[in-house]
Amino acid sequence: MTTNDETTIAPAATAFDVSEFARTAKGFHRDELDLEQFEQHGLEPDAARLLRVLRDLERSTMARMRNLLVTATHKDARVTAFLTTWAYEKFWLADALDAVLEASRAEEDLPADEGHHRLTVSERRDRRGTIRRAISANFAGPQIVAAHVTAGLADEWITHAAYRRLAGIAESLSSVVETVLEVKDRHIRFFQEEAERRLGESPKARRITRKELLGTAWPIGSVERPAEERSFFERIVFGGAEGREEARGIGALISALPGMTAVGSTIEARLVP
Amino acid sequence: MAFDIVKYTRASDAVGWSDLDFDEFERNPLPDHVLRSLRYMCDVEYHTVCYLRDMLTTPSHKEPEIAAFMTMWNREEFWHGEALSAVLERHGIHVDYSALKAKRLKLGFKDRLDPIKQSFGSNLIGIDFAAVHMAWGAANEWSANAAYHRLAALEGADHPVLAELLKRIAQQETKHVAFYATQARERLAKSKKARVIARFALRKFWGPVGSTIAEPDEVTHVMGHLFQGSEGRKLVRGIDAHIARLPGLEGLTIVENSLEARGITGEDREPTPEPEVAAA
Ligand SMILES: [Fe+2]
Ligand SMILES: [Fe+2]
Repeated sequence: MTTNDETTIAPAATAFDVSEFARTAKGFHRDELDLEQFEQHGLEPDAARLLRVLRDLERSTMARMRNLLVTATHKDARVTAFLTTWAYEKFWLADALDAVLEASRAEEDLPADEGHHRLTVSERRDRRGTIRRAISANFAGPQIVAAHVTAGLADEWITHAAYRRLAGIAESLSSVVETVLEVKDRHIRFFQEEAERRLGESPKARRITRKELLGTAWPIGSVERPAEERSFFERIVFGGAEGREEARGIGALISALPGMTAVGSTIEARLVP
Repeated sequence: MAFDIVKYTRASDAVGWSDLDFDEFERNPLPDHVLRSLRYMCDVEYHTVCYLRDMLTTPSHKEPEIAAFMTMWNREEFWHGEALSAVLERHGIHVDYSALKAKRLKLGFKDRLDPIKQSFGSNLIGIDFAAVHMAWGAANEWSANAAYHRLAALEGADHPVLAELLKRIAQQETKHVAFYATQARERLAKSKKARVIARFALRKFWGPVGSTIAEPDEVTHVMGHLFQGSEGRKLVRGIDAHIARLPGLEGLTIVENSLEARGITGEDREPTPEPEVAAA
C-alpha cells in the first residue's frame, strides 16, 4: 500500500521553493498603507462589510491549522513549513485590512456579524468537531494532504475574486488589494503545484479530494460565519452577470484539475446566490 | 504582569544569523557531543508545529490574543530549527524536510496530553483545558530557555559564534515564557478544578522537552550534557521554582525528578564529555 505520498523523498519536480518563501515572508504592512485617506473619506458600507468578511477569513488560520494538523498533513514537513509562513503572512494581511477598517470607522455602522449558522445537511460535516475530523481523516491516510492543498487552492481562487470585487466597489482600496494579492500569489502557486502533482499521482487522492471539496462551505471558514454575512458575501461577489462570470471561471479552474471534472460545476452553483 | 500581544507580534521576527561568521565552524568545528545535543534541539524546534496542534484542540485558539501568539510563536520556533540546522549543515549534518517527514512518520505523533484527557474523561467537561496546556508550555519554555543559556555558557569560551546564536534564540524563548506563564497564571487562578488537573498532569506525565520525539539515549545524552553537576542542578531547581510559583503547582519538582529518573545528578564529574555521561 505504498503511495507516492508516503515516500520520504522530496518531490524532485517541485518548482516552489518553500525555504525561499519562508526566508522572504511578508509581515507588517501598516507603514505602506495610506490610512489617512480612509480616515478622511471613510468607506462605503458594502466595501466595509466585504472588507470585514475578508479580514475575518484571513484571520481564521489557527482554526484551519487545527483541522489540517489533526490529520496526516502534520507529518509532511515541507507542507507544515509552508503553512507556518502562510499563517504568518495571513495574520499580517488581516492586520492590514483591520487597520483600514479601523481608520475608516465604518465598522460601527455595519450590521452585527453575529447570528445563526446555516443549517443544511451538507454543512454538518464541515462543522463537525476536531475529533471526528481526525478519525475520518486518519482513515484517509496521507492522501488527505491532496484534499487539503486542493481545498486551499479553490479557497484562494474564491477569495481572489472577492478581493477583485472589493477593488471594483471602492477605488480607494485598489492599492490595498494589490498588496494583498501580491502576498497571496505565492500561496496560490504552492497550492496549485501541490494539488496538480498529488491529484495527478493517485486515484485515492482524487477520490478523497472530491469528497472534501463537495463537503466544504466556501470560502473556507464560512461555516463559522453567520448566515446573513455569508449571503451578503455571495450576493456581493458572485451576484449579477459579472459575478456569475467569476463563479463560472472558478468552476472551470476547479474542473480542469485532475479528477475534478464533475466538481467544478457543483461549486460554481453553490457560489452563486 | 500583562503580556503585550501587539508589541510582541510586531517585534516577532525570524532569528537572524547572516551577520555571524559561520565559517568559524569550519575552522574550529564543534565537538561531537555538542553536535549531538544541537541535533536534538533542532528536532524539537522543528516539531513545534506538532505541539501546536495539541494546543489548537482547545477552543482557546478562538481568542484573538492566543491565535496571534500561536502564529508568531510557531514561526519563531521554526526558525530556531532553521538556525540550528544551518549550524549542523556546516558540520556535514543535513536536516531537511525529508528527514523530518521520515521522523514524523516513524513517530506516529500523539497528543502529549491524551493520557490525561483519557484518565479524566468527562470530568474535563466545562474545564478550561487551555490552563493545563499553558502550564505545560510554560514548563517547556523555561526549560528551553535554560538549555540554551547553559549550552552558551558551556561552549562560549571555545565557540563564541555558537554562543551568540544561542543567546539570540534564548531571548525569544524568554518572550515565550512570559506569554505561557501569564496565561497559565490567570487561567489556573480562576479554577480550582483546572489547578487540580494541571498539577496531576505535570506531576504524572511531564517529561523533558523532546522526550516524546527522541530516543531515550538521546534524551539522557542532552540532559546529562547540559545539567549534570552542581551548576546544572542549580539551573534545574530554578526552573522548578518558577513552575512551583504557578497557582496550584506549589512544591512540584518535576524537572529535577525527571533528571534523577535518568541518572543525572547534581554531582560534579570530571569534564569527560560524551558516552560517559550518556551511559550514566
Ligand atoms: Fe525555540
Ligand atoms: Fe520557545
